[in-house]
Amino acid sequence: MLDEPIRVSELDPSFKAEVISHEAAHDITACFSCGTCTAACPVHDVLPEFDPRKIARMVNLGMRGRVLSSPYIWYCTTCLECEQHCPQKVNFFNVLNALKNMAAKEGYAPTSWVNQTRQVMKTGIVFATEKAWVKKREELSLRPLKDDGKEAAKLIQSTGVDKIEPRAQSR
Amino acid sequence: MSKYAIFLGCTTPTRVPQYELSARWIFKRFGIDLIDIEDFVCCGANQINISMETGLLLAAMNLALAEVQDLDIVTLCPWCFTALAAGVEELRKQEVRGRVNKQLSTIGLEYNGRTRVKHISRVLYEDIGLDRIKEGARRDLSKIQVAPHYGCRYLKPQWASEGFDEPNDPKTLHQLISAIGATAIDYETLNLCCGGKVFPVSEDLAHSLIAKKLDNLQDKEVDCMVLLCQTCYLMYATQQEKVSKKFNKQYNIPVVLYLQLLGLAMGADPVADLGLNLNVPSVDRVLAKIGNDV
Repeated sequence: MLDEPIRVSELDPSFKAEVISHEAAHDITACFSCGTCTAACPVHDVLPEFDPRKIARMVNLGMRGRVLSSPYIWYCTTCLECEQHCPQKVNFFNVLNALKNMAAKEGYAPTSWVNQTRQVMKTGIVFATEKAWVKKREELSLRPLKDDGKEAAKLIQSTGVDKIEPRAQSR
Repeated sequence: MSKYAIFLGCTTPTRVPQYELSARWIFKRFGIDLIDIEDFVCCGANQINISMETGLLLAAMNLALAEVQDLDIVTLCPWCFTALAAGVEELRKQEVRGRVNKQLSTIGLEYNGRTRVKHISRVLYEDIGLDRIKEGARRDLSKIQVAPHYGCRYLKPQWASEGFDEPNDPKTLHQLISAIGATAIDYETLNLCCGGKVFPVSEDLAHSLIAKKLDNLQDKEVDCMVLLCQTCYLMYATQQEKVSKKFNKQYNIPVVLYLQLLGLAMGADPVADLGLNLNVPSVDRVLAKIGNDV
């Protein structure tokens, strides 16, 4: 996990290069570990193990395996308070997105996000078509939804993300 | 007369239809045409978790669909707003636009950078404006004291709404509330996130965040929370009873979408026009305090 000592043999210098190859995550190189992000983070406040500064430091050190396999990278609520206060203007939201995208390819994606994408391929939205809300919309004279994800599915398949399998449930 | 393509998103039309219902009523009253585009799909905001490129493609598809009809987009969901706005920004780059349009061509679409996006908060504040909102208010809301909740994407990233409000010290929702005669309070956890985007991964984490704000508001004299996001609504309203039980609390804080409060002020029917009967916890207390005199 994120709280064990750093082992130099584990460090992978190519990891940072891979993260910043996602253009949107390039700013991570500007991080000087001041911890303003962590101080501003509402998730850190209720779950101290979630620590944006630590994640940033681990990326810059090249701790590939531990970062990508960590469940914590998925615990960001994406409120952007870290970015709002970062003196180095690190776009941490997109740094995490880059990390999550890489982790997903390695089989660590949470079931919820994988299922949502699969659902969009069916209905065009992240929810299945259910009688209850279809009826409620009728009652309120709101127009029916299209219930068709064929065209979205073509786009989704073009990136190969439809092939991603969720992380096996271990706990 | 101005018009927009209305972007409903996924959650509002299926989980919080009263948000859509009241939006249609309000826009009609202010003479803004809402055009429905049947082919709109998910904005891509949640897809970026596992594939940023997929998120961008879905955003581009929606932008292209509106562009075919020469329309700008208004979103009810602040998240859809920033996902689409990030798409607009990203697609300014020629090489990105070329790559994305190549994929869009497989479904007969192309985006050329004309369609822009606004969250409904900006349409209320900038297109309609506080003066017309003030003029439209007929019911007396002066007895009502509310806790505004902006939520994350209403304010951030600031570039997406072109400096519309100040994330560290927001004012616009307070002003929209004051314009219809109600009082908007300030409180310590004003900027605290609802946890909606971590909820699909960890309900516990989201519940802890929800509880922090509800704890804060329980100590205040407020009749309800007022917000402009269906996900924040789901967290504070729909999850409220569960969070109450989990932490052994007795929360009972009604949650009202700003459009519903505005509709009430303008004399709308609470049930037929605004769907206030669908809100949980019940908003009867708020309605009783306002009364029916128009």
